[in-house]
Amino acid sequence: MTARELPDWLDPTPWLATARSATARDVARALEAAHPQEPELAALIAPAADGLLEELASRARDLTWQHFGRTIALYVPLYLSDYCSSGCVYCGFAADRQIPRRRLEPAEIRDELAAIRRMGIQEVLLLTGERTPQADFDYLEAAVEEAAGHFAAVMVEAFPMTIQEYGRLAQAGCTGVTIYQETYDPDQYARLHRWGPKRDYAARLQAPEKILASGLRVVGLGALLGLNDPLFEALCLYLHARHLLRSYWRGGITLSFPRVCRQRGDSVPPHPFDERSLARLVCALRICLPDVPLVLSTRESARVRDGLAGVGINKMSVASRTTVGGYVAPGPPEEGQFQVSDERDVATFCAALRRKGLQPVFKNWDSVFR
Amino acid sequence: MRGGEQLILGGVAFRSRLLLGTGKFASTAEMVRTVEASGAELVTVALRRFNPTHAEDDLVGPLTRLKITLVPNTSGARDADEAIKAAMLGRELTGSRFVKVEIHPNPHHLMPDPLETYEASRRLSSQGFIVLPYMPPDPVLAKRLEDVGCAAVMPLGSGIGTGHGLASAELLRLIIADSKVPVIVDAGLRAPSEAAAAMEMGCDAVLVNSAIAAAEDPPGMARAFAQAVEAGYAARRAGIMGRREQAVPSSPLTAFLE
Repeated sequence: MTARELPDWLDPTPWLATARSATARDVARALEAAHPQEPELAALIAPAADGLLEELASRARDLTWQHFGRTIALYVPLYLSDYCSSGCVYCGFAADRQIPRRRLEPAEIRDELAAIRRMGIQEVLLLTGERTPQADFDYLEAAVEEAAGHFAAVMVEAFPMTIQEYGRLAQAGCTGVTIYQETYDPDQYARLHRWGPKRDYAARLQAPEKILASGLRVVGLGALLGLNDPLFEALCLYLHARHLLRSYWRGGITLSFPRVCRQRGDSVPPHPFDERSLARLVCALRICLPDVPLVLSTRESARVRDGLAGVGINKMSVASRTTVGGYVAPGPPEEGQFQVSDERDVATFCAALRRKGLQPVFKNWDSVFR
Repeated sequence: MRGGEQLILGGVAFRSRLLLGTGKFASTAEMVRTVEASGAELVTVALRRFNPTHAEDDLVGPLTRLKITLVPNTSGARDADEAIKAAMLGRELTGSRFVKVEIHPNPHHLMPDPLETYEASRRLSSQGFIVLPYMPPDPVLAKRLEDVGCAAVMPLGSGIGTGHGLASAELLRLIIADSKVPVIVDAGLRAPSEAAAAMEMGCDAVLVNSAIAAAEDPPGMARAFAQAVEAGYAARRAGIMGRREQAVPSSPLTAFLE
């Protein structure tokens, strides 16, 4: 699949020109729109919007408070395994990296979950790499079942699956699944995903529809910012969300904003994406998708996280360890999938939220809804 | 059942006609201050936010220490079966017979599902719950819900958190005109004047969350809403003069009959 062969619903071409050429006046007009859609999004993500960033932030904050209240929902990621079968250029767990590999055994999964439960947070995100014999579907399903016994909400971030497999995860107690396209540009995707099952762009793009068709409640979308032209990615992310909202009326969508982290001396990402650009993107998507949860991880610094909390962002991870087994025995942070930038513990992070007039929410779901 | 000094729901009398939601506050302490300032006697809490093992995060514990009636709500339920499970658990954990049936399968616009709301309300009413269903502003559905034993109907003014006020006014008028049970406008109100307008129109109570929780001074806004609700209801009872398109002519058209 090349960029010219994107499905119609995902093709950002009509709005890319606007995004590249929008003036401050276009941005101001977009900010005043009562029901912003693609043309307004294109203006709000444009470089010209940088001069009106405070106005974007103000609108984004009002909409966040209106739809989600003065609250931030919390979750904690748990890396089950760092085995992988793909060679993605940007990933710390790529299969051709010479690193010691391990997976959590059932007793270790219980211990890690217990350590996270002690933090008081009731939503956990279980992660693995691409499908391997060490961390296959059955392994993941058993981990979901275990987690569902202790947590109100269990999310998964793993390899693309069949509808039947997603349905089995729902039966096991999974609330939803996150799967990032990484980049929506098929050519760039092919360059970065050199080999392995993740090289299949179409299989990955179809996964969110399978997730919602299976009866799972939520799908988390995202693009790894820095891999490609951010204007292209932002428009595709929006179009992808709109397509899913139209197709699955009971489906929940969330959007995440991971930025590429440099891995162990790797070169800088092909399209460096700075903090101001991140803030602009978050605010623009909040304005255009006012009732969609927007998520920010600990890849970002404490300063950026505190700044965007409640200003577009309404859901955040906290106290993350990106090494396998990291909650019971913290390993060297550089061995994680990415290096955590905000290393604050739960109490410190929550205190910062409260100083900002935001309530951290430890439980926002219930096992009765399974 | 309607129009007296007090609001009667399932045989229980309340003085306040302002109900409060609790989901969007900046802190639990602020929520408590706001509930107290509002004078609300009926306060809704989502079952999904019940967290008795975590004092810092739990909304229910602090509310049980106030002189209010807790109304667990079923937010998060996609269908009647899930709402019923949530209602049962809510009753078990709070001892309250009240339940706000809230079934919005679309987690984004949060519009209530009329079919599942009807089914859940029917079954819960028959099981002894005092059922307050959050519903689309549909006059036919309102009568259907009354027929299956709901203690009130709670049509939306406009979408949750939208602040579009009484966008559904024309439909609300039909519901108000025909309802035997109290009509409580739930969702969408932005300003106290809209709450007053709802009461003047003939609503029996209003439920507010976003407009109060997202205000700069939530307790202050809660007091303002309480006063507006009271003023609107008092005005309604005192008799609001009708509107005329033009002045009454000094030589009436029917003078020839004198």
